[in-house]
Amino acid sequence: MAQTLNTAVSRTDAPRKVTGTATYAADVIPAGMLHGALATSSIAVGTLTGLDTSAAEAEPGVVAVYTHENLPDYKSVKGFYAGGPGSASFWPMEGTEIKYAGQPIAYVVAETAAAARRGAQLITADYDSRPADVHMDPADSFVIGATGDSKGMVATKGDVPKGLAEAAQTLDVEYTTPFQHHNPMEMFASTAEWRGDRLTVWMPSQSVRTLRLGIAKAFGLPETSVRVISPFVGGAFGSKAGITPYAMLTIAAAKAVGAPVRLIVTRPQMYTVATFRPESVQRFRLGADETGKLTAFEHIEIAQTSQFDVVTNPGTHITRAMYASPNIHTEQRVARSDTNTGGFMRAPNEMQTFFGLEQAMDELAHKLGIDPVEMRRVNDTDRHPVEDVPFSSRSLMECYDSVSDTFGWADRTAEVGSMTDGDWLVGYGCATATYPTNILASNARVRMRGTGHAYIELAAHDVGTGSYTIFAQIAAARLGLPVEACDVVMGHGDMPVAPLAGGSGTAASAGSAVHDACLRIGRLVAAEVSRQPEGPLAGVSADRITLEDGVLRGPDGHSQSLVEALASTATTEVEAVGEFRHPALTDKLIRATFSGGYGTAGPVTPECAMFAFGAEMAEVHINRWTHEIRVPRAHGAFAAGTILNRKTAHSQLMGGMVWGIGSALHEVTEVDKPRARYLNANIAEYLVPVNADIREIRVEMLEERDDYVNPLGVKGIGELGIVGTAAAIANAVHHATGRRLRHLPIRMSDLV
Amino acid sequence: MRNFDYHRPADMSAAIDAARAEGAEILAGGTLMVDLMKIGVREPDALVDITGLADLEGHDIGMDRIRFGALARMADVADDQTLKTAAPVLTESLWKAASPQLRQAARLGGNILQQTRCPYFRDTAYSQCNKRAPGSGCAALDGGKTNLHAILGGSDDCVAMYPGDWAQALIAFDAEVHTQGPGGTRTISFADLHVMPGDTPQIETILEPGEIVKHITVPVIPALKASHYLKARDRESYAFASASAAVGLEMEGETVRDVRIGLGGVAAVPWRARQAEEHLKGKSLTEETARETGRIAFADASPLEGSEYKIKLGADVVAGALMTAHARSQGGE
Repeated sequence: MAQTLNTAVSRTDAPRKVTGTATYAADVIPAGMLHGALATSSIAVGTLTGLDTSAAEAEPGVVAVYTHENLPDYKSVKGFYAGGPGSASFWPMEGTEIKYAGQPIAYVVAETAAAARRGAQLITADYDSRPADVHMDPADSFVIGATGDSKGMVATKGDVPKGLAEAAQTLDVEYTTPFQHHNPMEMFASTAEWRGDRLTVWMPSQSVRTLRLGIAKAFGLPETSVRVISPFVGGAFGSKAGITPYAMLTIAAAKAVGAPVRLIVTRPQMYTVATFRPESVQRFRLGADETGKLTAFEHIEIAQTSQFDVVTNPGTHITRAMYASPNIHTEQRVARSDTNTGGFMRAPNEMQTFFGLEQAMDELAHKLGIDPVEMRRVNDTDRHPVEDVPFSSRSLMECYDSVSDTFGWADRTAEVGSMTDGDWLVGYGCATATYPTNILASNARVRMRGTGHAYIELAAHDVGTGSYTIFAQIAAARLGLPVEACDVVMGHGDMPVAPLAGGSGTAASAGSAVHDACLRIGRLVAAEVSRQPEGPLAGVSADRITLEDGVLRGPDGHSQSLVEALASTATTEVEAVGEFRHPALTDKLIRATFSGGYGTAGPVTPECAMFAFGAEMAEVHINRWTHEIRVPRAHGAFAAGTILNRKTAHSQLMGGMVWGIGSALHEVTEVDKPRARYLNANIAEYLVPVNADIREIRVEMLEERDDYVNPLGVKGIGELGIVGTAAAIANAVHHATGRRLRHLPIRMSDLV
Repeated sequence: MRNFDYHRPADMSAAIDAARAEGAEILAGGTLMVDLMKIGVREPDALVDITGLADLEGHDIGMDRIRFGALARMADVADDQTLKTAAPVLTESLWKAASPQLRQAARLGGNILQQTRCPYFRDTAYSQCNKRAPGSGCAALDGGKTNLHAILGGSDDCVAMYPGDWAQALIAFDAEVHTQGPGGTRTISFADLHVMPGDTPQIETILEPGEIVKHITVPVIPALKASHYLKARDRESYAFASASAAVGLEMEGETVRDVRIGLGGVAAVPWRARQAEEHLKGKSLTEETARETGRIAFADASPLEGSEYKIKLGADVVAGALMTAHARSQGGE
């Protein structure tokens, strides 16, 4: 049996994707389907005083126009951060209140998508407009906890002012990060079909469980009357997690019009009808002695939130786990602004917080005249600096050693501006990456046949990450089958519960449930064959038979392959539901996941702190004529426990680093201040890297064993790659130019 | 998108007849027109698709002049190796524009008539835009974000920037635009084609209703051979210029005999820096004189809030482009 884990396996769903036979939500066309389109508010805050829908209604092909006055009622559900299934707690078109620019104000249903969109363009609105501010005011921030779970939002150890007073060098700086939007290639889409009181919804989702429960609740239906189908997702990155208004409105419109309705949200509307990465301020006060050892560590994060939710993505929970210091203080604050509710976007909040933290470490190292890598080495720790528990595994410096080697860090000359290449200034920078290991309850059903096939079923999601493939690999390894013989089916709300696809938790948690189901199959088959009159394991006590790599082994050396054993049973077929319940998962956390929330244990449990680590290095070139900033090389070394699939994991980490280059140099949602609207809500002007921006990306995945996190030893890699990239690039820009740029993105306009 | 009539005339006179009708617009590659129609910025009654007019296709390189048909595709011209050797600025400025997909679709006649990317023009939710809705005001100048707007040629009514690349090369090298309309044929100096915004920013060119661009010609002069288009942008491809320069040099020994400088990413219309050209003529080309020339090109610039960087950036880009052109004039790259 060839090794199937920790090896490079091509995606099992790739042929379907490249031949166009993978069915995405917007590919489904129920009989008699009509098309929806949204009209949205031009103002940000105020009251709708009039809505003229007559021209839209007169447009050929338009079937109906719905507004707050005639849309069927549904029960509002709470937003994700208030413990509900919604993308936000405020639901548009329930009344006349406008709370953000681009808020849906009318929903047009038509025979064609073109007619629906034209109808939406023809709707005119009058408003009583009030002043609005898209930006938060950091001076008006408050500590998270007044309205929700305050656990750990402030942490203090020792005495930071004392530590600063004792330091040889100190740093007191502020970094800012901007609004960013996910921009998945697959547009937001939702198709709803009612048949009597039964409802089917097709939409790309990171959590079909959340959708099904929330929709059932909103429309007063038993959960079993709602089907949510999302087998493929064309990129999500956090934007397709909760139930969004566009989905709820589509379901309500389909109900009202009496026909299936599909809505494909336009690209500009995608910027306002769902979540985004909130803007943030990262304040650091650090002190260190002459050797670079930290004497004080203070991090205050202020993140932007809406008027109606408190976005709780605690970034300081992660930064305070990074480096040893006797004196630590962290605070998690938010400030309100007139936008829709933000959410999580790939590496929430680590992209933002580490842009600050890892530049601050670089700044302090520079002040002390210490090599930036050595700065991390002297502050490395094997115990969590605040919680005082050991890390379940931590290979940070092994990552630095590896990446220093591949990148050639030794060639870096320390002096600022000392490296050039023709018309280009050259800089090298490094930064730490980390991501907390999320532990969530999950179930999975595995059915195996004596013919040598297995069927794996769970309400997990492949958001383009490779989950279909790794679940097949896990089953193949445990059951002793080829990967191709393991069919994985996912993305239906009525399958065994698996967690929301976010926080790099799917492989670790849902994967462990698949693993457990396979072990249970082993026990069931063992019980059968031990009862048989003849056979290699006949008469052996079933509880002494173990399953190893698809082989049932008795205590006396007798063994039989699982497939053969199963084929010899009367049914030749067996089914088991596996469960992953880490000891650190409380009933409350399990209940949260099973009711569509995100019940994660960790990253710190009473026994351990669980994080994946990495080290990234970037080479930056800056042209002396055009001031253009380019990144010819970015290398990363990562240690994240077991790597299940070296090919898809490599893609994940590489993709994260590519996105990190985008965060560093390109991405920002521009804002018109007086009118509180976004300005570049399209992918021509919202810059993300193109092929030509990405040159050499090198990813190393280090061997690492972690027996604490889960039976597979997996720590998750989906978010990890992006975390250190922006800071590594900012540090390299400083090395090249002497310019310390404490905001994102870093543009040529900063360097002229 | 509003419904519209669609015509595909078989000859020029039918095209002119259809295009002169009130509310009619000309369609070629459609990369801009269809985009603006989708977002509701342009709502023509009729589109006159001229892609059936075979006479308007192709391009040829003559001894005295280079001719580009209005229907020549950006990609075909950008990839012409003979043209690249003869007049690098004319291929580089196309090659660095848009994306491969757009360059395959877009035609040169439409390329020179490209409309601004000003976000206030393109998003109809902003009620103020004098270009889109004359008399409504200018959101950019009313506290809006102006870091990407024109620092040359703007007015109190409009500071929208002309976003194209190729036009900078055409204006620098005295191109001519040959048209045919209801009043017959005419030849327009490229420098006269675009109109400064003034208090009528909705009027962008001197073209009359029904007047169709047939072809564009560029006289062959020595400075074309040692020419260069330098485009500074925040990403390596598929981005509009933060600042760009289309330049060419003719040297006589160590002395600059002729120099051409067009500026992109900074002006309301395609822009020629004549004062800077005059300054450099008769001097030697060194890094110092190149940088001086760049500064002079922006001497009259009036930056808006957030666009101050364009003055220094633009000057550096002009200097860098001149250095490359100089190297080319010496037989190098």
